[in-house]
Order: sequence, then structure tokens, then C-alpha cells
Amino acid sequence: MKKFFQKIALFLLLTICVGEIAVRITHVNADIPQRIIDADGIQKYYPNQEGYWKGGDHKWIINSMGWPGELPKSYDNLISIIGDSYIENFMNPNECHQSSYLKKQMPNYNFFEAARSGVTLIESMEISKQIDSLKPILTVIHTGDGDIYESIKEIISLTDITQLNTNKEIIVQGKMKSPGLKKVLYSCKLLYYLYNRFPINLGNETKEDSKNIKVESSKFETNETKVRILINYIKNNYNIDDKIFVFKPNSDKNIINIFKSLGLKTILLNPSNDKSWSFDYDPHWTCYGHERVANQISNKLKSSLIK
Amino acid sequence: MFFNSIDFFVFLPIVFGLYWLIGSKRIKEQNLLIAIASYVFYGWWDWRFLSLILFSTLVDYTIGLYLDKTEKLSKRKALLWISIGVNLGFLGFFKYYNFFIDSLVDSFTFFGKDLNINTLNIVLPVGISFYTFQTLSYTIDIYNKKLKPTKDFVGFMAFVSFFPQLVAGPIERATNLLPQFSKERSFNYAIAVDGLRQVLWGLFKKIVIADNCAKYANIIFSNHTEYNGSTLLLGAFFFAFQIYGDFSGYSDIAIGISRLFGFNLKRNFAFPYFSRDIAEFWRRWHISLSTWFRDYLYIPLGGSRGGTKMKIRNTFIIFVVSGFWHGANWTFIIWGALNALYFLPLLLTNKNRINTDLVAKGKYFPSLIEVGQMSITFFLTLIAWIFFRADNVSHAISYLQNLFTSSLFYKIEIFPSTILILVLFFIITEWLGRNGEYAIEKIDFIKQPIRWAFYISLIILMFSFTGEEQQFIYFQF
Repeated sequence: MKKFFQKIALFLLLTICVGEIAVRITHVNADIPQRIIDADGIQKYYPNQEGYWKGGDHKWIINSMGWPGELPKSYDNLISIIGDSYIENFMNPNECHQSSYLKKQMPNYNFFEAARSGVTLIESMEISKQIDSLKPILTVIHTGDGDIYESIKEIISLTDITQLNTNKEIIVQGKMKSPGLKKVLYSCKLLYYLYNRFPINLGNETKEDSKNIKVESSKFETNETKVRILINYIKNNYNIDDKIFVFKPNSDKNIINIFKSLGLKTILLNPSNDKSWSFDYDPHWTCYGHERVANQISNKLKSSLIK
Repeated sequence: MFFNSIDFFVFLPIVFGLYWLIGSKRIKEQNLLIAIASYVFYGWWDWRFLSLILFSTLVDYTIGLYLDKTEKLSKRKALLWISIGVNLGFLGFFKYYNFFIDSLVDSFTFFGKDLNINTLNIVLPVGISFYTFQTLSYTIDIYNKKLKPTKDFVGFMAFVSFFPQLVAGPIERATNLLPQFSKERSFNYAIAVDGLRQVLWGLFKKIVIADNCAKYANIIFSNHTEYNGSTLLLGAFFFAFQIYGDFSGYSDIAIGISRLFGFNLKRNFAFPYFSRDIAEFWRRWHISLSTWFRDYLYIPLGGSRGGTKMKIRNTFIIFVVSGFWHGANWTFIIWGALNALYFLPLLLTNKNRINTDLVAKGKYFPSLIEVGQMSITFFLTLIAWIFFRADNVSHAISYLQNLFTSSLFYKIEIFPSTILILVLFFIITEWLGRNGEYAIEKIDFIKQPIRWAFYISLIILMFSFTGEEQQFIYFQF
């Protein structure tokens, strides 16, 4: 029996080592940058990291300010871009980032990206507050229905994301979710691969629960009051004069109308009469999608928003 | 609980550890642990149906004891029929009630009369066909005086519900498995290692071969009118390997796990796709069910001892019943009847037992004649599988109509080369290992580092090619 267990243990160890090597060589996982929460309570990345995206075709980089992508050469005529995983854009090479395409369209301006997957609208506003120190002439904030609903703690309570308590009108800062586990997972690539392929629910909230919440939260009528409180809060607590809210395609027009009625500038992206902007098995935009998005934004900025 | 689930990978080491911790001298405690573990294993799916197994266990245990006490034939017969009635009654209700009602209503409608009987919303208890046949073999063998009843209720409970083979076989005979519950089981390193190897091969068959073939078989069968004949043939080919990988994979895992606990289960598959005729195929496919029907149905009916008419009748009965055992659908009955039609010419010309040895024994390659024989046999099974896989008879007929057109010689429209390479690797491995109980049984002659590299490669393939987890097909039977 002892020999059996010894052999099993040895075999498992060997299998894990070979698996780890195989996963690292083939880049079957995307490398994941490590996160920190800075002094302002903003969840961003450790500066100066780099890693491979899935398959190893290209690398992502985290700049010295802790955000994905390259920093602009100059901060004059600066336009900052804030968003979630769409703008973080690890799945595409650096030349397919919004800043690159916008720079091509608007060479007299410089662009700075601050994006992180999972940010809510209220978190984007907190990030914008920090970035205001760079004195941008404009800040483009990418958002969508989900980012708005997830900003409101009473609709869906998420501990790892910054949210607004609409009852008390206070910001509830997000906490790092299982930082220890994440560190182990990201260091051991095989474990992370297995975790991705065979996900296990470690939180209290079940998949079914979150599905139910999503169904509920998707109803604008149910949540209109809370959404209005959120947008009013944004209007009253942040400098919104230089902010432009870019809505993902098919965003709820009712929400956009609230933004407009409160005097906030908006752009609704429109993919109609165009080929798909997204990957086949991933809703994120491809290089083509990013180029089209940048075209629509630059056209709008040039035509009416930049004086 | 499925063998290919994370739950089971936690469950198995715990039960294994506790089992050997109890020690091989304490047989009763070990049996009790097996019974509890088996009920947990089954209850994980739906605890309500545990009562069915328990009831079936109680009935057959009691009848077994009474059968032993009485010598009066009429009383013995009555007891046997109670056992058959209870077991087949449950099976008939849960599995066939709706089918009979639907067929009855259809028949009346055919003759222009309406019959208002509603079908019921019945959930089929997983594995009911398997454990029903297993417990039936117990009472029939006692009735035939081939077996003495056990007085150890816990041992009998463990025998009926033995978790490795509870839900999808192999269908064990009481004469083989039950005595093992009353003997001391000692841990044997070589057997345990062999068991694990068989589990590994079974998982590979299920996860890499069956689940990946299923993906394409499902696409092609669901949209069969959109594809040409050659693609439909490939769809049937994928299903042939899906069902083989799935079911024989399950059997390998069941047998392998049993070995870890010191039990020896019957072999259920013996490389059936290398058969040179249909008779050989049926000696190599789902052996535990084929031999069950042979011993408890075919032989009592007279077998092949009578005249031609009796041979034809008995052959049809055994194949049609075997088809019907798989499910309450006319497709299974036609599948059985088709196999009877394949088998009869061999039986009537006394050529049903000419291929009893291993194909190309001691050689690396088969002869051209053997290749031809194997190809024809495989093709015949492929056609029969279409009925087995189809949703209903008209689906199967439409599939065959679209298959046998000139487009059979057109370019295949779906060609997943990676999956086909894996199937080819699987066929080659099975061919090279066909003299063993399972394909990689005789791998011991290879040096350990290479052997382990092979095992690790299989594991990496499993993780790389894990698709959506598919339930084992035979759970529904």
C-alpha cells in the first residue's frame, strides 16, 4: 500500500511538472497581470509588467502608471480614455488599442488609456478623478448597461468592485477578491488553466443567483430610480464638463436619455451595416472592431465635441 | 455522480482510503462502507430513487431465503415470479409505461378510434435496467439451484448497489460478484496499478474519443438534410466511436475502480470493431448483457437446439428484446431486429462460431481478407447504429435516404482532422493491445519512463480535449 501511494504521489508530481511546462510553452493560458489597490482606493495593476496573451501571439504590457498599453510621448492636448476589458484590450496587440487608432485619426492630440476589466461606471468616475491631475482636455469614458447596473450596490452587490450605495449615496470601495488564491493561481499556470477549464464556484453567490440577478437587473423599469440616483450622483460629485460617455452598441436608450437629460455628453456606438466587430467566441472587439470604434469616436469628437 | 466529474475525484480517494483503513480482515465493515458509499454515489443524482434500489434489494434478499427453504416446485415458481414481477414491474413502469400508452393510442388511432389515456411525466431512474437484471440473476440462479442465497443482508446490499457498476454495468452475475463480498479482499499492488491504468484508458475513451465524436455526431444527425452522403457516413462513423468510447470507457472505469477495492468484474467489451462477422461482434460487444440474455432468455427458450423456425424465432426474440432493453423507442427495436437479420444467415449456415479466436493473432497486420471482413462487419454495424442514434424511425429512414445517394462520393463537408487523428490513434492503440483485457493492459513490457510518459500524454490529451461534459449514454438505459 505504501509503495502504491508513493508511486501515485510521484506520478502526480511528475504529471503536474510536465503539465506546467506544457502550459507555459504553449501559452494555452493568457498571462494575468497582478493587481494592487492604490492610495486612492483604485484597483489597478502593478506597474511595468508584461506577459503573453493566449496562444503567445502577442504580449501585453502594463505601463509605469499601472494601466495597460503604452504611455503617450507627450501629455499636451491630452485625451484620456477610461473603460473596462474592451479598452484594456489584452486580446489584441498594442497597435490595436484605442489610443493608437485615435492618434492616427487625430495626430494633434495625445491619448492616455486607463482601463481594467470589470470596472463599473462609478469606478470609471473614480479613475477619472485621479487622471484629472494629468489635466486632460477631454476624458472618454466607455460604458454599457452592465457597467451601470453593476455600479449600484442595491441591484447587485459585488465586493470586489467599487459601487455606489444609492440609499446613502456613498461610494463603497472594492476589495481584492481572494488575493492569496489569485497569486497562487497566476503563479502556477497549470492550476490556472485547470481553474479556467473546470471552474468551481468559490464564492457564496451561486451562478444561478447571479443569473437571476442579471435577469432582474436587465429590467430598466425596475431599476430606473436607482439608475437616476447614480447618474445624478455622478453629475453632482465629478467634473463632468470634459467627460464624454461612450455607450457600447445596443445599450438601453432609456439610460442614455437620462444622461442626455442631465446634460451629460454621450456617444452611442453603432455597428449596423458593418461586419462583426467581435471575435467569434469572445464579445470583445477585434482590431477591426477597435478601428471602427475609434473612427466613430474621432468623427464625433472632431465634428462637435472639440472646439 | 459521474465518473468524469470533479465530485467523483474527491469521492473516490475518500472511499478508497477509508476502505483500506478499515482493513481486509473486517469484511462486514468494508461491505457496509461500500453500501453506504454506493447509496451516496447514487443519491448524489436523485436520493428519492434510493428507495427503489432498497426495495428491490429487500424483495430479492427475502425471496432468495424463501426459495432456499422450500422444495415445492409450485411455491418456488410463485416466488420466482414475484421477484420477476416486482423487478420488471418497476422497470416496465419507469421505462416503458409511456411507450406502451403511446403505441396503444397510435394503434387505436390507426383503426379510426380515439383512446384517451394520458402519458405520465416519469423520470427514468438512472441504471434501473442494470441493477434490475443483476438482482434478477440472483433469484433465477437460486431458483435453478446454481447459487445458495446469502444471509448477509449488508453484503447483498453492497452487491446490488456496488457503485462502480451500479448505473451502467457491467451487469454482474450473482454467481461471480456476490461470493466476492464474503471473501477477504487484500490489497494487491499489481492489481491496483492495473486497475488505475484501466481507469485512465476508460477516461481517455470517454473524454477524448466519445465526447469529441459526440460533438460532430450531434451536429450531423441534427442537421442531416443539409449534408451530403459522405458527411452522413462520417456522422455515423462518429456515433459508432462515440457509443463505443462512451460505453466501453465506462466499463473500463468500473472494472478498474473495482480492482482498486479488490473486486474482479466481468469483461464487457473485447475490441468489437475488430470483429470479422456479426456473430463475433456480438460476442465482443456488451458481453455482460449478451450473455445475460443468452443464459436467461435464449437458452430457456430452446436456444439453437430446435429446428430452423425455432432458431429464427429465438434469434429475433433475443435481439429485439435486447434492443427494447436499451430504450422505449421503435428505433431500438429496429436496431435489434436489423442485427438479428445480420446474424441469422450465419446461424442458419452454422458459420456463427468460425471466428472465435483473436483476429491476426500474433501478427502486426491483418490479411486482406480479414481487413475486408472487418470492414464489412463495421459497415453493417454503422448502418444499424443510425437507427440506434436517430430520434425516431422517420429520422433514421430520412438519414439513410440522404446517405445512399450519389453524394456519398462527394467531398466530406465537415472534416475535423484533429479529432480524426485522435480516433486513428485510438484505433491503432486498440489494435496493438487487442490481446489484452483492454488496450493498454500489456504495456508493462515498456520501460517505466516511457510508460509514464505515455500515461502523462493521455492525461494531457484529456485536459486539452475536454469538451462540454457529456453524460454517459448508457445512463439513460
